Amino acid sequence: MKRYEVIIVGAGPSGLSAAIEAAKRGVKVIVFDENEKPGGQLFKQIHKFFGSKEHHAKVRGFRIGDELLEEAAKLGVEVVLNATVVGLYSDKEVVVKIDESIHHYKGDTVIIATGAAENMVTFPGWTLPGVIGAGAAQTMMNLHGIQPGKKILMLGSGNVGLVVSFQLIQAGCEVVAIVDAAPRVGGYGVHAAKVARTGVPFYLSHTIKEVSGEDCVTGVTINEVDEHFTPIPGSEKTFDVDTVCLAVGLSPMSQLLKMAGCEMEDNPKRGGQVPIVDEYGQCSVDGIFAVGDVSGIEEASSAMIEGKMAGVCVSEYLGYIDEAEKKEELAKFDKDLSSLRQGMFAPENRGKVIEKTEEGIDISKNLLRNGFVADDEIERFPGVVHKVGVHPVIECTQNIPCNPCQDACSKGCISIGNNITCLPFVKDDSQCINCGMCVANCSGQAIFLVDEDLGDGSATVTLPYEFTPLPEVGTKGFGLSRSGEKICEAEVVSIKSVKAFDHTNLLTMKVPKEYAMKARFFKCS
Amino acid sequence: MSRIDEHPILGETKKGREVEFTFDGKKMKGYENEPIAIALKANGVMIHRYTKKEHKPRGLFCAIGRCTDCVMVVDGKPNIRTCVTPLKEGMEVRTQDGTKAAG
Repeated sequence: MKRYEVIIVGAGPSGLSAAIEAAKRGVKVIVFDENEKPGGQLFKQIHKFFGSKEHHAKVRGFRIGDELLEEAAKLGVEVVLNATVVGLYSDKEVVVKIDESIHHYKGDTVIIATGAAENMVTFPGWTLPGVIGAGAAQTMMNLHGIQPGKKILMLGSGNVGLVVSFQLIQAGCEVVAIVDAAPRVGGYGVHAAKVARTGVPFYLSHTIKEVSGEDCVTGVTINEVDEHFTPIPGSEKTFDVDTVCLAVGLSPMSQLLKMAGCEMEDNPKRGGQVPIVDEYGQCSVDGIFAVGDVSGIEEASSAMIEGKMAGVCVSEYLGYIDEAEKKEELAKFDKDLSSLRQGMFAPENRGKVIEKTEEGIDISKNLLRNGFVADDEIERFPGVVHKVGVHPVIECTQNIPCNPCQDACSKGCISIGNNITCLPFVKDDSQCINCGMCVANCSGQAIFLVDEDLGDGSATVTLPYEFTPLPEVGTKGFGLSRSGEKICEAEVVSIKSVKAFDHTNLLTMKVPKEYAMKARFFKCS
Repeated sequence: MSRIDEHPILGETKKGREVEFTFDGKKMKGYENEPIAIALKANGVMIHRYTKKEHKPRGLFCAIGRCTDCVMVVDGKPNIRTCVTPLKEGMEVRTQDGTKAAG
């Protein structure tokens, strides 16, 4: 039996981060992963991450994956792929299936970073080919370069459902609707808004009645549900689709921890069966740690910090650093983690209905119901201002921990105030130079540059555009409202694509001036 | 379903060399080392197997080797998870019926 100081199960964001922190301090680390490639789900994440600089904000997920792999390789972390861990015992014996044989390892410490599995819901037709998980859609389009389908209905309006819907449109697929049985959009409003303005309708308080098709999906029928989730007769709507995508939550893959005899609990706020852990991931069995989604569903940024914390803890456990150094390091990560766990989407707020922002502004009801902020709601948010000349309009309306916008502007036009979750505002005395960095750097694609009056009855709106084909200057088409409705004629007057924008193109369209604060997307005619 | 030739964020998809394989005896083309299921999807194949008791079609579902809905008979061996098994030149892929090859 081979012995290692730390055995890590799972080479995703948390497992790799743990490995890096431990290896940095001289610990001998081995990481097992059942997949052919390391990186977990990071390589399927093509959107820019939220948070602050310390959390890799505005960096796309797959690039963070590359950085982690590079750092782990530099430190000599051994990653064994195609290696499925099938057993974990309380004395930290780990049983691994590699090819057709079983291998035994013994760890002085073990870090479980197995992540989560997708939840499913059942309805007539749910087993038909063409009904897929949202993760499957991401795997197909972002790893293997194939469209999951042509016409797709998304079930689930949490961040996964919203982000994957956007990615499907980027992959050239048509998303016919986003459906959720809940009465309110579950994910970030900015993710919903960037999908809604392309013309995708949201059906909240709706669920799938049935999926039709003989050999594969040919259609789907949804119906409205009342407050008890009971279907309302006569409310059926049918869509011709070839694919139905399920994004209905994740469950921790905590079986190994249970097997090892770690104390477990059923905690809906953390996503299901989870180990009871201290603040640094230490389970009830001494020397076994759990980090990332396996110890409670969150997202990759917090998973990476949890991994780092466990990496520091095992280094101290094994005697590579002393108690004082551990405390100092952990204090730093505590700060990073607590800043991520703030705002209205914080774990402690799960399931709560929040009516006002931290600033005391009424939350947009339309955003929660239909995925976009209505014209008569948008003006009350601090980032939405009117000025002479080009200026940023920041349609960020919920308190989420994110601040790249304020660093983006070299002229200091944008500030988010004291707290990372505060709504950004445009400073009164600031002078916008139309550089577009704020538009490109906003992970939520919620910043627009608007010149409300060119003097000839028209206005310009600059918006983030991450689709192909990229329209050329001079292309005529329509300005779409926040709801994705064609509201005016529009012409592309400028396209900016520079390296610093990282594939977020800046499309400037000219619209009649009365649409300056209404037109938020461009569609070719 | 179509392959994505030019992605707005990811650019051109990296592909292996083009190889030939068979699906239920029919010649098809795919790229070496991509999952078998992806090559099948690019060729329009949706049904990977039929269930044993009720003979219901199943296809690709989780795409990460977890659900086992996409298993097929590959080179004579049944229950191969096609979503995580790399495609090789000359592979014989067959629709699975229960636990055996169909037909």
